[in-house]
Amino acid sequence: MRRAIQVPLVVAFLLLLAAVATRAENESQQTPSPAPAAREATPTPAAKETTPAPPASVTIIAPREAHGVLGREVRSPTNEDMGRIVDVIVDRTGTVRAAVIDFGGFLGVGSRKIVVDWNALHFGRVADKGDSITLELTKAQVAAAPEYKEDTSIVVLGAAGNLQPFEDEH
Amino acid sequence: MIEATNGDRRQGAFGDNNTVPPQSGPAREKPHPSRRSLQGLDWFIFFLADVQTGFGPFIAVYLTTEKWTQSQIGLVLSIGSVIGLLGQMPGGAIVDAARSERLVAGFAIATIGCVALAYAALPIFPVVATAAAFHAAASCVLGPAIAAISLGLVGPHAIGERLGRNARFASLGNGMAAAVMGTCGYFISSRSVFLVTFCLTIPTLIALSRIRENEVDVARAHGAIFRETPDPQATSVVRLVRKRPLLIFAASVMLLQLANAAMLPLMAGAVTARSSQWAPVLIAFCIVVPQAIVALMSPTVGAKAQSWGRRPLLLIGFAALVIRGLLFAMVHDPYLLVVVQLFDGVTAAVFAVMIPLIVADVAFGSGHFNFAQGIVGTATGIGASLSTLMAGYVSDTFGSSVAFLGLAGAAALGLATIALIMPETKHVEA
Repeated sequence: MRRAIQVPLVVAFLLLLAAVATRAENESQQTPSPAPAAREATPTPAAKETTPAPPASVTIIAPREAHGVLGREVRSPTNEDMGRIVDVIVDRTGTVRAAVIDFGGFLGVGSRKIVVDWNALHFGRVADKGDSITLELTKAQVAAAPEYKEDTSIVVLGAAGNLQPFEDEH
Repeated sequence: MIEATNGDRRQGAFGDNNTVPPQSGPAREKPHPSRRSLQGLDWFIFFLADVQTGFGPFIAVYLTTEKWTQSQIGLVLSIGSVIGLLGQMPGGAIVDAARSERLVAGFAIATIGCVALAYAALPIFPVVATAAAFHAAASCVLGPAIAAISLGLVGPHAIGERLGRNARFASLGNGMAAAVMGTCGYFISSRSVFLVTFCLTIPTLIALSRIRENEVDVARAHGAIFRETPDPQATSVVRLVRKRPLLIFAASVMLLQLANAAMLPLMAGAVTARSSQWAPVLIAFCIVVPQAIVALMSPTVGAKAQSWGRRPLLLIGFAALVIRGLLFAMVHDPYLLVVVQLFDGVTAAVFAVMIPLIVADVAFGSGHFNFAQGIVGTATGIGASLSTLMAGYVSDTFGSSVAFLGLAGAAALGLATIALIMPETKHVEA
């Protein structure tokens, strides 16, 4: 019994070390100024082994400019809690069409996944992790929307409040 | 394998008793656990409810904030539920084989404490998946262990009242867990919930240590009774598994969960769709109201089970579930739905007491009380998984009213099973 507990603990500890190492690596990559040099250096050993591929192009985005949105809190203009972004819907041209938000409920009970138009979201304060993304809809509008189901026609809730079916373009 | 271990252990436990002078016989029949042990058990159950189930709802929210995708979260939750289902019977067998129920429970709690800490420290897939598996496995042991400690302390004649008291403290503990962890989750962060859970393992273990080891009769905790000559027939697992009342009861508990498990989530989804502003508050009430009813009613259920017998209470529990399903299908006002949840409280109070009680009725004397709990636990798990799957499908295709009617139908089937074929399991006192 005791050994059964110890093994995962040891595993967890090793994983902890690994994670600390990776995090340190990530942080060093995030600092903008030394990053280009570091990234240009990395492809060279790989290039020697196989046929030489052109080095990948690198775009640097300053930390205040952009940020990931998965799991970010969404609020209405009147500062109502509108849930969190749990997925992003992209069409075949690669255009971002909509975001899936996990809306409502209490302690995870009764929450519903609603798809909202990408244009109804405002990302002005996206870079600040503690800040939220603004959704130009009210709670009542979002509550009435049908729930998101994978592999069916998606109903996207637009800023104007009207429901527009997300058509299958085939 | 299980048979062999239990056989050996019983030899050990009873070998000495055969030579003990006869005056220890009555002492064995009527146990007198100390106040300290009984209060220890009260508080152990109270804190355990926090530790065991408290952080469950936060896992999905927490992993979402840690940028996990929905499919990863779904996978981790399924790992937990599959192990929680498959582990029921082995978990019961472990408790049956254990020489100290307290020690097993203590280890399980320590495991959950480490799990909570792992969630908070390192939300990466391998760690969280392992933690979810250990959490589920520890729960499979803890469920039977509480009932085993109770039975070991008070014996089969006072177990009805004791289980009623257990249910009261468990639901008070759940209420406190929801309040404390909800507050931390809302005002601090989802991560803090896991740290609170870790801290709560300390009072849980202290309460556990207040239960005096020597008052928990190991043989009684396993549902074994003292026999002059060993009776291999009465202590056979095969015979236990073939007992009709146990199988009928397991089937009806499966129907209970089939009808019950999806009802609250389905209703909460409907509330979120209908009342945007007050939905979270209403859903919170829908969760708290049944807990309050359980805390109020379960000791009465325990006492009535001894005077009325088990069947009338089972019929009341199922009837309340049928009525609730029908009302959910018809009532659309979100505020009235909270009132309908009173029926959930009735069902929950009845079954929180009756499930371990009937298993104890049927399995006492076999020495496999906890394995029998595992059988009923497996039936519970199967019913609950099927319930969410089927109700989700029906509600997507035909709407939530039809889904509620279907759930009410499953409950009606359970009611019929109890009314027509379930025998009374209360022992007639000599």
